[in-house]
Amino acid sequence: MLKKKAARQARYDRSAYLYLLPALVLLAVFLLYPILNTFLTSFKNEYRFLTGEFAGFGLQNYADIFKDATFGRAIINTLFIAFVCIPASMVAALTISLLLNAIERWQGFYMTLFYLPQVTNVIAAGLVFAFMFNSNFGLVNTVLGWVGIDPVAWIKGEGIAASPKLYYEAYARCLFILFVYTVWQGISLKIILFMGGLQNINKQYYLAAKVDGTSSWRIIRKITLPLLSPTTVYVFITSVITAFKAYAQVISLFGSHYGPPGDDSKMMITLVGYMMDAMGDYLTPGSISKASAAAMILVLLVMLVTIVQFKLTKKRVHYN
Amino acid sequence: MKTQFARKFAVYLLLTIAVSLMLVPFYWMINTSLKSSVELLRTPPTMIPAELRFQNFLDALIKAPFLRYLSNTVFVAIAVVAVSTAVTVLAAFAFARLRFRGKTLLFFAVLGTMMVPQEMLIITNFMTVSKLGWMNSWQALIVPYCINPFNIYLLRQTFKQVPDELYLVSRVDGVSHFRYLQKVVLPLSKSSIVTTMILSTIWIWDSYAWPNLITTDDGKRLVSNGLQNAFTSDTGRIQYELQMAAATMVIVPLVLFFLLLRKYILSGMDKGGLKG
Repeated sequence: MLKKKAARQARYDRSAYLYLLPALVLLAVFLLYPILNTFLTSFKNEYRFLTGEFAGFGLQNYADIFKDATFGRAIINTLFIAFVCIPASMVAALTISLLLNAIERWQGFYMTLFYLPQVTNVIAAGLVFAFMFNSNFGLVNTVLGWVGIDPVAWIKGEGIAASPKLYYEAYARCLFILFVYTVWQGISLKIILFMGGLQNINKQYYLAAKVDGTSSWRIIRKITLPLLSPTTVYVFITSVITAFKAYAQVISLFGSHYGPPGDDSKMMITLVGYMMDAMGDYLTPGSISKASAAAMILVLLVMLVTIVQFKLTKKRVHYN
Repeated sequence: MKTQFARKFAVYLLLTIAVSLMLVPFYWMINTSLKSSVELLRTPPTMIPAELRFQNFLDALIKAPFLRYLSNTVFVAIAVVAVSTAVTVLAAFAFARLRFRGKTLLFFAVLGTMMVPQEMLIITNFMTVSKLGWMNSWQALIVPYCINPFNIYLLRQTFKQVPDELYLVSRVDGVSHFRYLQKVVLPLSKSSIVTTMILSTIWIWDSYAWPNLITTDDGKRLVSNGLQNAFTSDTGRIQYELQMAAATMVIVPLVLFFLLLRKYILSGMDKGGLKG
């Protein structure tokens, strides 16, 4: 009996827990506990950060944020990034990758250059874009001037509250800037991933098609794109998840009031921006729990997309 | 033959146009960073600075105080990389090689947290940090970044590739686990470890939300947070030439870093992506 126990213990390395200890402590405090606590806090009504008091559990925070027009704007802007900017940058990245895949010489050189937007700093690059769209000293209006187009007041919100028409025009201009920046920012990673996918396609398919004299456009449509589809799904899902978390790029373009000067509706706010705003207001009772509810909506969106991914890639994805 | 040449030419032409468009922001940033404040106000703006004013970089460093932000960021990055590499290597080794109770469960806990958006953690971590009295402290900027489930997963996969025979031989020879990790596993896994270190550095360099939330003290701000508001003059005018000089100083080191360590960064991305 005793022998058996000793034998079982010998199969275990007791020192293992020492190796794991630092990681597990950090994991518990900064990852696992926050998940649980944020979930719980999102159901605490009128939660007070300083005292920890709250007025019972319920769905009040969720009801509050769904009634809030700013939250509506946050959702719309976040979905705009995920389902307008992401597909556009995927089409651009795929086109560039197909072109890159067709050349041999200089391929590495081009890929290095295409990668550069990825190794910038999100705030620094956003400030550069904001300045490119500056109405007086910006590059965009200068170039427009060369082709005879009058300067556009890109980031301007004075007096827009009075008229819905002016408001939506200002909004459209800001969305355009966000679109350009998001496409630019996200294109590098997509090119790298698409190139990886393209290089995994068996060359024999192409040789066979070549023997048959198939046109290159037909090869792309009938061989490349279908065989690339697992990569495409992967790129789309991971990009959409990143888009759901959009925050710093909006701050860098439009400042911490999420809009052009003169706008007080936080017109460009995102879901995470909404969460961070509620957080920053932590002394107001119920504010932290509202932030938690917004965070849970984010988790829900991410989970939803992850489930879609599993459904789409069943049996097709291979882990290495 | 002729059409094939024309086609190749068209491909290179299109790629060159695409690359040029992508590089426009870099050009505009550097162009602006070298202008004098007088030249900046010219309309239409000049495409090449009339005179190159490198003084802007010095002004930006002193004025913001951007030098402070830069050195803070470098300090935090070094501390995070040092601590998190130690934490990650030890945990990954336990998961890859050692036998202990609850291994599967714990590993699933690590994998599970990988899928949770980091942004949701901010709320509770903010509460924790303020209860610990860590607001405006180095600990708050460093400690939460020291755990990275993705890196644990990446290194565990790498460590598992070390042949079993090496482990068994070292056991027979009575080599301790720690020595085995130190003398056999680490040298064989160098490139993956370097990859995780680089990814952590880029992560810190790019982080905005967390440091912004927990530092109000100018002496502890990181570059991302310092950049935005630092260059508004007393009259409320943004000094774009200094702002762009500062942006250049944030971006250029990262670009150089990438060009030097390309191999490691791209291999890390193959294994599971960067950012979020």
